Amino acid sequence: MDLAWYALLGLFFGAYLVLAGYDYGVGLLLARGGGPAGRRAALTALGPFFLGNEVWLVAAVGILFGAFPILEGELLSGCYPAVAGALAGVVLVTAGVQLRSRPTDERIRARWDRVVVVGSVLAALGWGVLLAALLQGVPRQADGHVAGVSHLATPFAAAAGLAMVALIAVHGATFLTLRLPAADAAVVGRSARRLVPVALTAVALATVVGLLSARVRESVQRPAVAVLLPVLLVAALLVARAALARRRPGWALVATGAALALPVALVGAALWPYVLVSTTDPGASLTVADAAASAPTLRLLGWVALPLLPALLGFQAMCWWVFRGRTDGRAPVYW
Amino acid sequence: MDTLLLARLQFATTTSIHFLFVVVTLGLVTLLVGMQTAWVITGNPAWERLTRYWGQLYVINYVLGIATGIVMEFQFGLNWSGLSRYVGNVFGAPLAIETLVAFFLESTFLGMWIFGWHRLRKGVHLALLWGVALTAYASAFWIMVANSWLQNPVGYELRDGIAHLTDFGALLTNPSLGMAFGHVVSAALLVGGMLMAAVSAWHLIRRTPDFVLFRTSLRIGLVTAALAITLVQGFGFAQFGPVGAVQPTKFGQGPEAQAMVAEWTARFGPGDYTPPVLASVGLGFMILIGLTLGCVWLLLPLLFRDWIIRLRFPLWLILLALPLPFVAVILGWISREVGRQPWVAYGLLPTEQAVSPVGAPVMLASLIGFSLLLGTLAVTNWVLLARHAARGAVDPALGRPPAPPNEPAHPEPALA
Repeated sequence: MDLAWYALLGLFFGAYLVLAGYDYGVGLLLARGGGPAGRRAALTALGPFFLGNEVWLVAAVGILFGAFPILEGELLSGCYPAVAGALAGVVLVTAGVQLRSRPTDERIRARWDRVVVVGSVLAALGWGVLLAALLQGVPRQADGHVAGVSHLATPFAAAAGLAMVALIAVHGATFLTLRLPAADAAVVGRSARRLVPVALTAVALATVVGLLSARVRESVQRPAVAVLLPVLLVAALLVARAALARRRPGWALVATGAALALPVALVGAALWPYVLVSTTDPGASLTVADAAASAPTLRLLGWVALPLLPALLGFQAMCWWVFRGRTDGRAPVYW
Repeated sequence: MDTLLLARLQFATTTSIHFLFVVVTLGLVTLLVGMQTAWVITGNPAWERLTRYWGQLYVINYVLGIATGIVMEFQFGLNWSGLSRYVGNVFGAPLAIETLVAFFLESTFLGMWIFGWHRLRKGVHLALLWGVALTAYASAFWIMVANSWLQNPVGYELRDGIAHLTDFGALLTNPSLGMAFGHVVSAALLVGGMLMAAVSAWHLIRRTPDFVLFRTSLRIGLVTAALAITLVQGFGFAQFGPVGAVQPTKFGQGPEAQAMVAEWTARFGPGDYTPPVLASVGLGFMILIGLTLGCVWLLLPLLFRDWIIRLRFPLWLILLALPLPFVAVILGWISREVGRQPWVAYGLLPTEQAVSPVGAPVMLASLIGFSLLLGTLAVTNWVLLARHAARGAVDPALGRPPAPPNEPAHPEPALA
């Protein structure tokens, strides 16, 4: 039961990173210029999917609170700056994208677009640092609380944050290659291909820093799984590059999406059976089973979630199906 | 400054801003459902124009509802980790259900509704709006289930100081839930109706084009507000019984409250168990506003032969009364939440035990940062709402037909 809910939590957070990841990636790429028309076209490509993407985060945190209340309190308050930064980023992106086209003045719209860029960077950095914080362990004391927030300030957390920004940029560019009209897609496809080496470098840097970090080496319970993570990330990025070169943006998006989902799955697997590994007191490490809500709560949530999941996935799939394909002159414009 | 005060200030700020936007969301979506249903059934384009105009205001307002809502959800873990540690087994369940059953679908449907004009079949498009509305109500319901549990914890047993769920049905039949849910939902309808009436009144005062459109929405708004204020008053006064029974210290100083305080002193040690006077002050002023707004009924006869528009001063009254329901919902929220103090879960978990053990500087930075961020976004959002409301119903961006195919989607400058 615990494992099923842990997997579901991972599914929702991973899906959030994959789906909202291209929102943030597109947001990030608003900084590369392209003029007012180009930026509007990029946001039109996000269009109908935007609102349905960040709900995965809200649902993930709902599951975290309902099924893993202890973890919710300790993880969020224990990694306060990372979570608050990511949260501020999410808020800026959600407000920026939805409000930027309401004023008609292009200068004000450009200002909103800068808000979206900043928000996208913050969100990517924050989630990258949070995943790194899990992997490098937290100073959880015997009283069950995480002491202080300075444990986040490590080179590995910084490198992981930057790697997340790079992965999200590649993902966003690949999404635009798939969605924009064919003429614009060729240009953005070249940017996507050029971004892949940047992401590879960032992943390699994070890997090296992580391998050198004693905290990471001691916290990880399954070193093989942890080593698999950078290997698979590099493989996914190379597949994305090859697919982009062969003008298969669909497959490229699957690969870059996998690159964003993999860290969630493999960080969870590498720490199992723990979820918060204590760096100060081995006895204070929190296992998934201890973090989970008691059995009656999980049973109740199970009865709610079981019939609901197909509906949630079904309506999301309906959104993707209805609005599939490249945008064109007849695509609805609102953001 | 201690972290408890900072955390409470932050929660109060975020919740208040959130509440100002979600009542509008809930009220307007109900009216939108009526308008779009009328459009689909009658095929009268006037209803389409109404749906697009009010829909655009609804969608702009929705942005801040989500933004503040996400911050609220995270705040439980960031600032109130004791809440999840001691009562998370019970309190977390309705919140988790809310995110899955309600919010997840609400936003997914809304995205398809915004972009579905001229693309989906009319019936499917309407069904999406119904979906948005139903999930919005479901959202309000589950949040009220969670909140009512904090007001009156039921259906649990304590083992080693941690609450475990024993009877989920008790959460749904909580005496502090039913009337409060009705009260909140009718308050949202009141806000939606008043907003619609006031914006229409402004256009009718200024004699902008679209007289017929704003005449219609003035009538819809006023009738909704009148029906809603009566429900608000009814559900409001009906709460005194159950609230007094389960929370004797909230508004009372009588023998029951004293007995409760004596019991808590025995169990938790001596302390100040009386809620701040702010709760009763909030309640008093809210009731005053509620009774004043009851006068909306006096305006209804003036709808006959448009006397309300011809006389003009009733339009000014409606316009000037617009802040009142917003002030009232905040006061009502204050009286419900502050009246629960010093408990986060009444008689079970003191507020000071629920606050996260983070340092005061972190909490202060978070309070200032998020208050500035959400405050700025809220003001910006209201300015945008006011501008779009004033711009009138001529070609709102929502539901605009796509450009004709012979025109390029992104026209290039000729001499570039």
